Amino acid sequence: MNRTRKTTEAGTAGEGGGLNPREAATLFEQTRLQARRQFEPAPPWLLVTRAAMVLATCGAVWLSVRGQHPYQGPTAAVLPVVFAFVAVNLGATLVVAKRATSGVSGRSRLRRAEIIVLAVAWVAVFVVMGVLAGAGVSRPIVYGLYPTTVPFIVVGLAWAAIMASRANWRSCGTGLAVAVVGAAGAFAGPAGAWAVAGLGLFVVLVGNAAAVAWRQRSTGPR
Amino acid sequence: MTDDALDPLIHVPARLRIVATLAALEEGDTLSFTRLQDMIGLTPGNLIIHLRKLEDADYLSSEKTGNGAASRTTVALTSYGRAALDAYTHALRDLLDGL
Repeated sequence: MNRTRKTTEAGTAGEGGGLNPREAATLFEQTRLQARRQFEPAPPWLLVTRAAMVLATCGAVWLSVRGQHPYQGPTAAVLPVVFAFVAVNLGATLVVAKRATSGVSGRSRLRRAEIIVLAVAWVAVFVVMGVLAGAGVSRPIVYGLYPTTVPFIVVGLAWAAIMASRANWRSCGTGLAVAVVGAAGAFAGPAGAWAVAGLGLFVVLVGNAAAVAWRQRSTGPR
Repeated sequence: MTDDALDPLIHVPARLRIVATLAALEEGDTLSFTRLQDMIGLTPGNLIIHLRKLEDADYLSSEKTGNGAASRTTVALTSYGRAALDAYTHALRDLLDGL
């Protein structure tokens, strides 16, 4: 195929409509930035909002449990805050991701097997938590250390493995960072683990937001 | 260097916006015709004309699935199209540096 000939024939005189190089550069940059923003399933504003929410939620739980001796777990007054965070976070994530990926198909979408792995990881950690509670394991472990460490370690590592298999190293790093936050919480005790989770996830999410914003503005290919 | 160094197929406002939008996708992804139309803001007829010119030059590939009302057309830049856009942006940068 003679590509040069076809290209030359396809561009007809006057189609540029007086587009000079500076206008072309501006139009290209504007369009690219706008498209990158519209295709981003986790935009910086959402990540920063999520970071603030996770810090506030884990901080509220930590404030409610830090004076408990022995540890009893989050108080009834703070549980609605946790459930509201989970609901708002999940809802906002789904709405934004659905809008961003509308009409997009191909390699960047999670495959069915990958979704199943993540779902199984999430369900398994809470099934095990129920089993531990039923088996009479102490409250500080079941309602303190476990929910603030194990889900982050298991799901973070599962996400990191999936992203590594796609050679998506930024997302792989995010998964590993979440797992590290979970592991660090295990050394902070049942009450301190909430503070570690809040602060750790805040840093991971804000760092991720900065990385996404930098990538959107970078001039190189994605 | 003059404007002649710019690929005439890309150096058209509508097609520049089309290739810039498609280049923002991850490599290996495709975009539906309707989403592309929403983002670019062209009429379907106009968009088809520009897409056909890009496809004739192997800058993009399109695929139609389904029939009738359920049919869906997706488009994506080819590796050749990405290379052409890279060459275009380099030429543009050289031109602006020379001004």
